[in-house]
Amino acid sequence: MKSKLLAAIWLLALMSAIGVAAAPPRTNRSTEPVVRNSAEAETMRLEGEKRFRANCGRCHTAPQKFPPRMMATIIRHMRVRATITDEDMRLVFFYMTQ
Amino acid sequence: MSCRRRSSERPRAGTLIPRSRKVLFFLFFLSAAQLLAQTTESDRTVPILTGTAGYFNFVTAGQNQLDAQINPVVLLPLGDRWLVESRAEFEGAFQRPPDGGTYGGMVSKNLDYAQVDYIANTFVTVTVGRFLTPFGIFNERLYPVWIRSLQQDPLILPLSAQSSDGMMLRGGFSVNTRLNLNYAAYVSTISTAHNNLQSNRDAGGRMGVFLPGPRIEFGASWQKLLQDQRTNLFGLHFAWQPTWLPLNLHFEYARSYQGSGYWVDGAYRFSEVVFWQKTMRHLEFAARAEQFFNGQISPDEAEALGLPGANTREGEFGLNYYLHDGLKLVGSYGRQFSYAGNFNLWTAGIAYRFAVPLGRVAQ
Repeated sequence: MKSKLLAAIWLLALMSAIGVAAAPPRTNRSTEPVVRNSAEAETMRLEGEKRFRANCGRCHTAPQKFPPRMMATIIRHMRVRATITDEDMRLVFFYMTQ
Repeated sequence: MSCRRRSSERPRAGTLIPRSRKVLFFLFFLSAAQLLAQTTESDRTVPILTGTAGYFNFVTAGQNQLDAQINPVVLLPLGDRWLVESRAEFEGAFQRPPDGGTYGGMVSKNLDYAQVDYIANTFVTVTVGRFLTPFGIFNERLYPVWIRSLQQDPLILPLSAQSSDGMMLRGGFSVNTRLNLNYAAYVSTISTAHNNLQSNRDAGGRMGVFLPGPRIEFGASWQKLLQDQRTNLFGLHFAWQPTWLPLNLHFEYARSYQGSGYWVDGAYRFSEVVFWQKTMRHLEFAARAEQFFNGQISPDEAEALGLPGANTREGEFGLNYYLHDGLKLVGSYGRQFSYAGNFNLWTAGIAYRFAVPLGRVAQ
C-alpha cells in the first residue's frame, strides 16, 4: 500500500512532466534579460559570473553549463531553494547560458 | 554503540495524531492538474529529471554498513511563475549481523518534498505541499550527497523535522548592492497516515542576511511545535566563502529541549596549489568539528530520535576528488568521543549528480 502510494505520486509527477514537455516552446519573458549590444553583454556576463560565485558557490561547486532550456528550469528551482534574488537569478542565467 | 543512522531512517519528534494527509495531497495534485491546463505555454523551460545517486561504506566502531541510495528530483516548470518539484529518497543500508553471516538490511523509501511553488513577485514565493523544513542551512541546501563535503550527518540534524506538510512563504531580495535579505515562514500540519510522509504540527521561520561583497551569510531560525510539549527550537547559521581563498565555511547551532549543539565545517579546494595542478585542482580537503549536549529527554528517547544518547564531541576530516563537477570520490575519517564510548568513523564512496531533460532542449 505504502509503496503503491509513493509509486503513484512519482508516476503522476513524471506523466505531468512529459505532458508539459510535449508542448511547443515559447519565448521566456521572465528569466532572459534584455541585452542591447556586445559591451553590455560582456558587462552582464562578468556580473553574472560574480553573482554565480557569490550565490551558487556558497553551497556547491560550479556545475557544467546546461542547455538554456534546462538552465531556465534549474535557475527557477534554485531561486526557490536558495532564496536568491530576482536580479541574481537573471544575471546568473545570462552567465550560465553564454 | 550503533551506526549513526541517516535522516531518512529517523523517526519524527513528538507524538503524532492522524489527520489530513489525503486532503493535502489531493490539493497538491489538483493544483498541478489545473496548472497543467494553463501552462503548456511553458516558455523556454523544460521539465527535468535530476537528482543524486551514491554508494558508500560507513564503518562505525568497526561495524561496516553498505549504503546505496538514489534521490531522484523532478522539476516541472509551468508558465512563467510556477514550479512543481519533488524529491524522493530510496536508500538501502546493509550490515552484517553481529554474529557473522551475509549482509542484510532494509531499503527505505521517503518522499522528501513534493511542492508547488508560485513566484508571486520579487519578494514572495508561495509554496504549498510537502517541503523541506527551512531550519538552518544544512537540511535545505547542503543535504544532497554531491553537495555535502562530508557524508556523515551532523549530530544536531535530527533536532529539527526534515520535512513539513503545509504552506510556506519565502523569498530573497536586495536591500542595496551590499546587502540581501532572505526569509522563510511556514506552518505545517500533522501527517501520520503514511510512514514516509509524516510531519508535525508546527510553525517556524528563518531569516538570513547575505553580504555579497565579502560573501558572508548569517541568520537565525525558529520552530514552535504546536502539539505535545509545544516546545521551541532555535538555531543560528553562518556561511562564508572568502574571495581570496577557495574555501567554504559553514556553521550551525541549534537548541531545543531535546538537546543542543553546533557543527562547523570547512572545505578547501586545492585549485591554487602550484604543483601537480592537473590533479590538485580536482581535490578538496574537508573538515568538521561538532558537539552535542544532552537535553531534557532520556538517552533512550534521544537515540530513538537519531540523537546521541550522551554528550558527544566529534571531529572528522576527509578528501573529495571531483572526477567532474557531478561525480566525486569521497573518503573521510572521524572520531567520536562520548561517555557512551569513543569510536572511529570511516567513510569511503562515490557520489553522482545527474540531470536529464524530459523534453526538447534545442532552441
